[in-house]
Amino acid sequence: MGINPNHVGSLVKPDDFDVFWGEVMADSNRVDPDYLVERDDLRSTDEVEVHQVFYSSIDGIRVSGWYAKPLDNTNKLPAMVLLPGYQSDPPIPKDWAKKGYACFSVSPRGKVRSRSQFDPGYPGLLTHGITSRVEYSYKGFYVDAWKAVDFLKTCEEVDNNRIGVTGSSQGGGLTVVLAAMRSEIKAAAAGAPYLCGFMDAIQLTNTYPYQEINDYLRIHPEERSLVRDTLAYFDVISFADKVTCPIIVNIGLRDNVCPPETGYDLFERILSTDKRLYEYDGHGHDAGGYLHNTIIQTFFERQLR
Amino acid sequence: MKHELAASPSRPSDFGSFWYTVGRELSDISPSVEEEWIPLRSTDYADLYGVRVQSLGAYSIFGYLSVPKKQGPHPAIYYAPKNGSVLEIIPQGTANQIRERYMILSIASRGMRNSDTPYVATYPGQLIDGVDNPLIYIYRSVIADALRGLDYLVQREDVDTSRILVYGNDIALLVGALHGAVTHLVTRPAYFFDSIPNAIRTSTYPLEEFNDFLQCYPGKAENVTNALEYFNLRWHASAVTAETLIMAEPAGSAYSLEILRDLESEMSADVTMYESRNSTYKDGMYVERWITDRLVGADSAAILPNCWN
Repeated sequence: MGINPNHVGSLVKPDDFDVFWGEVMADSNRVDPDYLVERDDLRSTDEVEVHQVFYSSIDGIRVSGWYAKPLDNTNKLPAMVLLPGYQSDPPIPKDWAKKGYACFSVSPRGKVRSRSQFDPGYPGLLTHGITSRVEYSYKGFYVDAWKAVDFLKTCEEVDNNRIGVTGSSQGGGLTVVLAAMRSEIKAAAAGAPYLCGFMDAIQLTNTYPYQEINDYLRIHPEERSLVRDTLAYFDVISFADKVTCPIIVNIGLRDNVCPPETGYDLFERILSTDKRLYEYDGHGHDAGGYLHNTIIQTFFERQLR
Repeated sequence: MKHELAASPSRPSDFGSFWYTVGRELSDISPSVEEEWIPLRSTDYADLYGVRVQSLGAYSIFGYLSVPKKQGPHPAIYYAPKNGSVLEIIPQGTANQIRERYMILSIASRGMRNSDTPYVATYPGQLIDGVDNPLIYIYRSVIADALRGLDYLVQREDVDTSRILVYGNDIALLVGALHGAVTHLVTRPAYFFDSIPNAIRTSTYPLEEFNDFLQCYPGKAENVTNALEYFNLRWHASAVTAETLIMAEPAGSAYSLEILRDLESEMSADVTMYESRNSTYKDGMYVERWITDRLVGADSAAILPNCWN
């Protein structure tokens, strides 16, 4: 089938999108983060210091993450937020630290080490509470992710004016959310963005994780409009016109998980004038990562260092 | 600085009795199978069941079993447990319609989601849990869990036992070596082939877990090296009788084709070596074709994700 050249995204951004997320942000800002930072001797080396970090988010959920920084940090460091994929476990970002960044790899609610209070599972997360924008799993999930920026700002070695964000797949979608919602983000690199054009993606793919939504609608066909209405508030494309920082996006034109059509839709709606799309023909959900990783490194070197 | 240990691989003298004991302990435990239909994940062409079986230590492990609705017996694909927290029904990005053609079982070994009572693993973390003693190393039990999953699958009357493929990382190869029911094997080694010598050459997880452990506990290096030899794919390879596809990482990686040629040389089965093209699309197309040819026939179309057709 390949890419549908005639695809037109069906998403309609809700009129009260900004009001909704403004209220969520206000809720988020009222939470005492109650940070706990523990050095991880097992994973620290003579180059990199690794910490396990915990903080509170909305709904009283404790969120975890890995914080890695170079031991040589006499000068203020540029910082990165690293965002996780859907079913993969958040990595320890030692490689970023070795390159001279303070990097926080966040594990939002439901992911490993952040699932003792909330755990809809995999499959499960994508449709948990999907008929209500207030109850939907990704409301808290997005907040957990963007509060990573608040943590970085508490680190005295971090230069708060040089914070970037990156990730691929779900991490790519979250990257756009953070770039939209947190003015502290100065540069963003989103790969194979997930959570984009949900209602189109479930038509374009026959694979999990989007299949979770088709599973749900097969059992609850009468809730289709409710599902559509909810997802419009969480669709990463709805956040795109709030992104003003420099951003690069890469997609695989044979992506079997996140349809490239939705990647195009996202890129088209990003407001920033400093944006560039990298399309990788002959690549699937890897989105050309093998080639693109160097481009990401160069991009952040230019933007943050 | 990285640890200095890089001893030559050495097969433990009690290698055979070690694994014989695991098998005997497992056979002493009744599987006590429980199956529950999951309507949410069932379609007009396949039913999905949640399955619980008892494994080593009477530990309850969970799996997803997808059963085609058409008449069996069916060729089967067994997705062996992986080094990660999430249990998938089928791997992300796989066409859901393969569930119409194959009986599919995926098992969460102890510590993974749904098999995490009472033991909750962390990732990274599980790969070094007890790694300095082969008798308490968690992977002794993890591999028993994987074997128990296959025990369950092959006793089903709707499975065509002449076509059972195991798919996964290192554990898939270990299952192929330790269980006689496997007819085809797809393995992508990631951590158990000459673990320490290969860990030294990389700083990438999961192998980096061994580096973490040894730089923190250098006095345990010899014990760790010895324990990992029981799990070394090198010593299991000759026991694999299933036709095998070995998926190598791209050149320059820890488990590149060049490195895995040594593993190939230890295999007695018919082996196809494949080097990653750095593209999940190209790699995925290759493996789907390989599986279809062997489980269904070369004249049958592979069932592919929409955008790969």
